[in-house]
Amino acid sequence: MENIASHEDWKSCFSELAPGLLLFARQWVRSRADAEDIVQEAFVKFWRRNHKIDNRGLLYATVRSIALDRIRRDSRRTRREAEAVSELEQVVEPQFELVDETQFALAAAVQRLPHEQREVLVMKIWNELTFAEIACAMGISQNTAASRYRYALAALKRMFQPQ
Amino acid sequence: MNDFSEIENELKKLRPAHVSRELFARIEQHLAGPEISEHEIIRPNRFRVNWVAIGFGLAAAALLIVFAQISTDRTPKQGDSISQISPAPETRPMLAGSGGAISSSEFVPAGATQVVYNTRNEGLQFPGGSERPLRRLRYQMHQTWQWRNPATGASLRVSYPSEEIVLIPISGQ
Repeated sequence: MENIASHEDWKSCFSELAPGLLLFARQWVRSRADAEDIVQEAFVKFWRRNHKIDNRGLLYATVRSIALDRIRRDSRRTRREAEAVSELEQVVEPQFELVDETQFALAAAVQRLPHEQREVLVMKIWNELTFAEIACAMGISQNTAASRYRYALAALKRMFQPQ
Repeated sequence: MNDFSEIENELKKLRPAHVSRELFARIEQHLAGPEISEHEIIRPNRFRVNWVAIGFGLAAAALLIVFAQISTDRTPKQGDSISQISPAPETRPMLAGSGGAISSSEFVPAGATQVVYNTRNEGLQFPGGSERPLRRLRYQMHQTWQWRNPATGASLRVSYPSEEIVLIPISGQ
């Protein structure tokens, strides 16, 4: 079926989206391996149904849904991981390829943002989604998505320009 | 002018971590393989009926009912009021043999609870040389069954621990 015709297409699509998708999944799970599991499950599910990538909002909604489902399924383990990681903070499996102290501080500041703001920021900055696509992925209005993005940037600016 | 352009530019300089080659291979394997239908996926269902556990519970309850019946049958012969299950005024008419009355040894189900108090992720497995990994989850539960005799007010309660192991295929759905 279409799977054969589009078999190679997924590689180019996934190569382009994978780092951003993985970063997005990492917003729910601390472990990189768990995030890769989520991305794999979401992408396979999405690609089998769509065979194209024009509805990115739906792809990110799928990642989000699978991540939340996994958290509910495995809440005890996630809590233990979160507790363990919170003690080590950024020492474990960085989400970015950090090159200097400034980037390290910026990545740490992003991690301190409220979750709903961080979600929007990750989708906007590193996945280049429009506010309409973000709204679709999160089930919120475009205005709310834009507001959360502005709040996130304002908070980061405050952290880096202390009075 | 966008007030946040400077911080946006700084953020865009951050590069997300690369994805492992293994992830590409896993996705390729899953997209090439057959799609798993909904009914093939074993889902951990909190409210799934554990028939084995229910069987044991019912067997234990039946045994208790038999013992309870023996105990109440012996009571009038011995004339020992202390060992009676129910107060004398309630049992007396039934012992007199009034037809159609509820037997003093007849218990009706009054409640059942199943409490999942622990879920343990026991990691991935490859059973029978399968290429598709399965995640093994162990659910530890405590089940309680309760019966009540409406005639005498007596109740029976059976509680026992049980375990259920669920294997979940790690793949797209």
